[in-house]
Amino acid sequence: FQDQAEQFFRSGHTNNWAVLVCTSRFWFNYRHVANTLSVYRSVKRLGIPDSHIVLMLADDMACNPRNPKPATVFSHKNMELNVYGDDVEVDYRSYEVTVENFLRVLTGRIPPSTPRSKRLLSDDRSNILIYMTGHGGNGFLKFQDSEEITNVELADAFEQMWQKRRYNELLFIIDTCQGASMYERFYSPNIMALASSQVGEDSLSHQPDLGIGVHLMDRYTFYVLEFLEEIHPASQTNMNDLFQVCPKSLCVSTPGHRTDLFQRDPQNVLITDFFGSVRKVEITTETVSLDRDLAGFEREFPEDELATEPLKYAEQLPVAQIIHQKPKQKDWHPPGGFILGLWALIIMVFFKTYGIKHMKHVF
Amino acid sequence: VVEGLALLDLGVSPYSGAIFHETPLIIYLFHFLIEYAELVFMITDVLTAVALYLAIQDFNRVVFKKQKLLIELDKYAPDVAELIQTPMEMHYIPLKVALFYLLNPYTVMSCVAKSTCAINNSVIAFFVLATIKGSAFLSAVFLALATYQSLYPLTLFAPALLYLLQRQFIPIKLKSKSFWLYTMQYASLYLCSLVVIICLSFFLLNSWDFIPSVYGFILSVPDLTPNIGLFWYFFAEMFEHFSLFFVCVFQINVFFYTIPLAIKLKEHPVFFMFVQIAIISIFKSYPTVGDIALYMAFLPVWSHLYRFLRNIFILSCVLIFCSFLFPVLWHLWIYAGSANSNFYYAITLTFNIGQILLISDYFYAFLRREYYLTHGLHLTRQDGTEAMLVLK
Repeated sequence: FQDQAEQFFRSGHTNNWAVLVCTSRFWFNYRHVANTLSVYRSVKRLGIPDSHIVLMLADDMACNPRNPKPATVFSHKNMELNVYGDDVEVDYRSYEVTVENFLRVLTGRIPPSTPRSKRLLSDDRSNILIYMTGHGGNGFLKFQDSEEITNVELADAFEQMWQKRRYNELLFIIDTCQGASMYERFYSPNIMALASSQVGEDSLSHQPDLGIGVHLMDRYTFYVLEFLEEIHPASQTNMNDLFQVCPKSLCVSTPGHRTDLFQRDPQNVLITDFFGSVRKVEITTETVSLDRDLAGFEREFPEDELATEPLKYAEQLPVAQIIHQKPKQKDWHPPGGFILGLWALIIMVFFKTYGIKHMKHVF
Repeated sequence: VVEGLALLDLGVSPYSGAIFHETPLIIYLFHFLIEYAELVFMITDVLTAVALYLAIQDFNRVVFKKQKLLIELDKYAPDVAELIQTPMEMHYIPLKVALFYLLNPYTVMSCVAKSTCAINNSVIAFFVLATIKGSAFLSAVFLALATYQSLYPLTLFAPALLYLLQRQFIPIKLKSKSFWLYTMQYASLYLCSLVVIICLSFFLLNSWDFIPSVYGFILSVPDLTPNIGLFWYFFAEMFEHFSLFFVCVFQINVFFYTIPLAIKLKEHPVFFMFVQIAIISIFKSYPTVGDIALYMAFLPVWSHLYRFLRNIFILSCVLIFCSFLFPVLWHLWIYAGSANSNFYYAITLTFNIGQILLISDYFYAFLRREYYLTHGLHLTRQDGTEAMLVLK
């Protein structure tokens, strides 16, 4: 029975989350919004529901006054694929996409008034996909044209997530210039990272659409989208194939990846482990009775783990000791020679001024 | 001081941080008295007032003696009877001086703030007392203490010397041997006591690093926290290249007035002392209102100059208004953020101009009275028309 149950948990995760972030605003950064929306589309198509996706778009391209085709965001030229349909749910929009909000989403330190759709409610059995795109540099990613997130901050946020058991495994994809610098500083386990370009290289955009007037997608994400369009929820394609996406001939920049923090072999990691929400369902025709075996699973707590005496809250600090403390002894005292010299001088001055006759009154 | 003592308790030299700039004798004093700090400052203020009271009492006697001498020698013009000071009007002056010091809002403020300026004031007051009593030794000792505390009372050496020479009836001629002998004696007393005090403070901490912290700090003005003086704004906006030059210029400004004033006021050393204390408290690198309180305490001594003061109403208005505007503009600048440092600097400027004009007004009035005393109240020019006395 235990072997049967173990087969369920081969990959270690039970739920999937996705955090998709586009960090740039203004019309000419159309392609970043299109990047994010195309990953959103793939992820939703492969099974992750909107309640498990946190989509952050820094600007509104679909209803931008400069969009000649309102309510659409295209990812292929000639308007072949509209990634902005009727069912796109943007959780953080426009000015809500800030470094602070992003880090709060990741670490879970959100004010109590935040609605559920804006929270990353992952647990220690969640596989999270984090996709970020925008303008970046060596070690930073620009948010909203006014602030930056550094690779150190990101690494620390992931460490906080690890320590709070907020993920089982994490796939981090970044499509910016010098994107590899963003994953250089990660130090938490179970993170796999992909970037569209190495340090010192720029990520280039794919193709402009002359009708809309801007570049529609970035190269790396375009080819990732094409790759993902081939994936369906049951496909067994693994991560090594994703690493081959967009070679230098197509992408001009060299995509990079980092797997040293990841415990499983990328060969064994399915694409759908991160991009899809594949439920392990096995249909069985026999009933399994659980009553009798459960008793054997109960364990007793070892004795020494229980506290011997309940600690009262009030006794944790020795308040009585603190408030009645005498002023502490001063450690420094003037040297004896100084005191002697000073008072000798004072007495000498006194007698010189007032005459020696006062000596007998003093002594 | 609390910071310095805390650092000492941790075993570190108190001068290693940039906050503590007091002399080692203050460390010694407050090592035992830090818990009673309020009481200490109240007692120092009372001591200052008592010292000033006794000093001015003695000074009045000296003034009378001198006046009597000059009347008998017929040095005064015939119609100056109303200018001569009488015992009746001078009876309450020492009390007024003590009250002026104690009740001055500036004194109260510096006592509440527990500023060590109170200790400086007390030492200077004792120095004045010792000088007027005529004891060269004590006066040298207190002057050395005052110089040791803050560097500027060095300039008070000249008026003290002049007063003591006068008291010993030694004429102030450059060729006179007794003049040089006495000067050498007094200077050597002063320098020896200064050296002794500095060496003694070396033995407190077994290190010389109090010298750059105390004297280097006063002279090179590294800390530009706004105060009521003039240094901070200049040096905040000055280029580094010129800061040494301007520091020298500003410091020379304090010491510069000693020689000319000594030449002009050699007959009146106590007035010279008053003007010198005022100049120190205006031009020193980190003035406080306690310094102002000290020289204002002397004003009743020259209340007989009232009829010769020309701008006293405007000046007192300026000083009072500026004193009220200081906290207002500080609040606006620092807390409300709707003003900037220029506002506060303007008030500093105005306040210092008011003080300088006050001093120069008293100076003018004093000299005018002296002139009238020797030349008569109704001045006429050579052709008989009425003349006006101006200070050039």
